[in-house]
Amino acid sequence: MDSQEDYGKYQGLQGDPQIAAMPLERDALRRFVQAIMDHDPLYFDETAADASKFGGLAAPPLYPVHAFRLPADTPDPLDVISKDPNADGTAGIMGVAFGLPPIEMPYRRLLNGGNEIEFYRSLRVGERTVAHPKYVDVTLKEGKSGRMLLVTIETRFSTEAGEPLLLNRQTLIWR
Amino acid sequence: MTIYYDNVEPGQQLASLSKGPITPAHIMRWSAAVENWHRIHYDQTFAKEHDKLPDILINGSWKQHVLVQLMKDGLGPAGWLWKIQFRYKRMDVAWDTLIGRAEVIEKREADGLGFVACRVALMNQRDEVSTAGIAIGVLPLRGGRKVPYPFVPKADYPAFAVAAD
Repeated sequence: MDSQEDYGKYQGLQGDPQIAAMPLERDALRRFVQAIMDHDPLYFDETAADASKFGGLAAPPLYPVHAFRLPADTPDPLDVISKDPNADGTAGIMGVAFGLPPIEMPYRRLLNGGNEIEFYRSLRVGERTVAHPKYVDVTLKEGKSGRMLLVTIETRFSTEAGEPLLLNRQTLIWR
Repeated sequence: MTIYYDNVEPGQQLASLSKGPITPAHIMRWSAAVENWHRIHYDQTFAKEHDKLPDILINGSWKQHVLVQLMKDGLGPAGWLWKIQFRYKRMDVAWDTLIGRAEVIEKREADGLGFVACRVALMNQRDEVSTAGIAIGVLPLRGGRKVPYPFVPKADYPAFAVAAD
């Protein structure tokens, strides 16, 4: 199977909402902003954050996309590497599909084709992210280096209370 | 410091930043922070011999946050980064230094707010642009109302017809 018709069933397919395993914690926020090397005091200075438009410590705007971690009671993804020295380590990555059913395809190599993101509000410490994913486009194309499958996933991120955080439209290129 | 729409003009550099050299330790710190165990980001032997890459790669996911930081800081605390779109044009590898730039290309007023479209890019120390796109920020007008937060866009807010490089 590898025709445009085969991929039609994925067009518009919505996944179940995915709730982050943990609410945003101060220490996770500290590690995160250190990793992105953003020393904005609004991420760690409570007095400054309280007086800001965020009304308290809040994450960087794009944090919700990376708010998803494996729950503690799930299998250790590093076991895969222990058992198979050729494993690439991507097992267990919550990734970009946010629980959408994988697309059946013959392609194995994945490239990120780019993102379009719209921001509404930042996630506050103590809040939990919810992702609402959808396949919006699945198109087979002939490129210079052969056939490829372009997959666009649109994921709305909100708080558990349903307040919109951001909208991320990501295009993945499978070859 | 408040950045007002009135003080921003097309052709002006809204913001710049520099990060690096990004060492394997920086890349590993990001991978650990987001629990991404893809070996091309920390296992040099795997990256080179298995995936035939020039070195371990700086994560695209990390570069997204650098572009967002660039715009956030450029717009200042009274502004809001509404939209950003970008494409990855080439790989960045360990020991690269990334330089981010945001240049204003167009501006428009709507609903008592100032909208600025910027060309954004990350380039390395070899002047190679690895990530490029367009961002739209919202700024207050001098003497005007605050940019609302949370930011709820309206249907008639400007859609800039600008293409990324």
